Amino acid sequence: MSTKNSMRGAAAIVGIGQTPYYKRGTSPDPEMKLALRAIVAACEDAGIEPSEIDGFVSYGSEQNSGQKLMPALGTKSLKFAALAWTHGGGIPAAVGLGAQAIHAGTCDVVVVYRAMAEDSNQRLQVAVTQGDTPAQFLANGIDMVLQRSAQRSQRMIEKEGVPRSTLEAIALVGYHHAQNNPAAAGYGQKMGHEKYESSRYISEPFHLFDCSRENDGAAAVILVSGERAKRLKQKPAYLLSCPMGAEAGTSSGALEDNHEPYTSVGMVDLAKRLWSESGYKPEDVDVAQIYENFTGMAVASIIDHGFCTRQEAGEFISLENLKAPTGGFPINTSGGNIADGFIHGMGLVLEAVRQLRGTSPNQVPGAKLSLMAGGPGDSVTSTALFGSEETL
Amino acid sequence: MSIARIKGGIGADEEYWLALERSEFRAPRCSECEQWMWPAHFRCGKCGSWEIAWDQIEPLGTIYTWTRNHAISDAVKERREDLPFVTILVELPQAGLIRVPGVLEGSEEGLYIGASVTGNIRPADEKTKNYATMVWRLADEKASK
Repeated sequence: MSTKNSMRGAAAIVGIGQTPYYKRGTSPDPEMKLALRAIVAACEDAGIEPSEIDGFVSYGSEQNSGQKLMPALGTKSLKFAALAWTHGGGIPAAVGLGAQAIHAGTCDVVVVYRAMAEDSNQRLQVAVTQGDTPAQFLANGIDMVLQRSAQRSQRMIEKEGVPRSTLEAIALVGYHHAQNNPAAAGYGQKMGHEKYESSRYISEPFHLFDCSRENDGAAAVILVSGERAKRLKQKPAYLLSCPMGAEAGTSSGALEDNHEPYTSVGMVDLAKRLWSESGYKPEDVDVAQIYENFTGMAVASIIDHGFCTRQEAGEFISLENLKAPTGGFPINTSGGNIADGFIHGMGLVLEAVRQLRGTSPNQVPGAKLSLMAGGPGDSVTSTALFGSEETL
Repeated sequence: MSIARIKGGIGADEEYWLALERSEFRAPRCSECEQWMWPAHFRCGKCGSWEIAWDQIEPLGTIYTWTRNHAISDAVKERREDLPFVTILVELPQAGLIRVPGVLEGSEEGLYIGASVTGNIRPADEKTKNYATMVWRLADEKASK
């Protein structure tokens, strides 16, 4: 298949690596060593020497720049380095930046990575929001992310009729999938309706289990050209489309919640571009990793992408339909940010790749199209569709 | 006396805070095309004017959305002793339906999206990060202040 997007299939993820998820503040290693461990692991997975990496891309407030990592990786020449200008919304965008640099011939082997350790950095809330919260919020007792997300989900439920059960389904499916994933922070932690419903409120309508975890750790993926990917040992995850951006009037962050539609998470236009650039439709997607800082934001992300409407959400976003392998729309198959672990969402990229390789702890049989949606509601966000060779 | 201001977001709203210190509730709009804007910015994206006017408006609005907060981050830790408390987005029909964040005070009876609220100015203190702010009450609230 070909579309107007010359980037389609031009690059592929051929290596994935990550450290264990440590409880926030308990990493045995400083943040930079975590980054190095994840990057070297991704290289070993790909069968590529760490010294071959010549492109470094991250997002958000990542502190461990390529130039700092070079001496330890044996980097011969750094030819490209970039930071996607966002928070969790920048994850697919970071992969896209790497792919563009490869496609342009700027560099050959790009690592996209994120490392977080509280002892080396700051409290998660600070590290993620980057001290960029407007006075209008802080003077009124509102921090950047949690309360504003809760307010948005409250209107989605109260005014637009999306049932609260959708939030619970996102939380429960994460824990359900984590039970088959011994590496997940939520492995062995039983979750059900009673436990979810009786957990304390954090910011209504969000219960404790509607919120993502906080972890120390690092995760990395290795990107090379689509051509080179064919000759490497892993089954490639080709990047079919990876739009980033914000249409006028849709950026909730920059517009301080004066964006439209208010309960959207800024991904309506992105999704249109994704389907147009990839040549596929929502119903073609086999499995999706939906960034859930909070469950209600993931619900809005699913709706923005066109997987269902607000009217259909109650039926579509149910535990049964979200479960792998039996559900019609399996999501967050390693447990997601809620039950696998949270390194600013980077773990979701690795899981999107595992699904195409057939190595997920909750494998969707024969998965060929694997979506990874970036941080919902970020001031600029992004989304990515990966495909196996037969989808090219 | 100058007070330390928070650096974050666009940072074009100093006039909003200064007005509240004078007991005036003002909102930004373009001097040329009269487009209301929120947050305040340095240039009107609609007509290109660099002149931003700050019109005084009545502190009346409707609840656009709300949350009852039970836990808050360190960024706003001064408010922990007030938990649980309700924060809202107030829609201002008299200012082009812009939405401003705020805290709901008083009774929560009749708290729903679309409910009318009236604003009062709260002097600056530690909880407001030393900014004078507008606080809101449900307009139908029976109880007196």
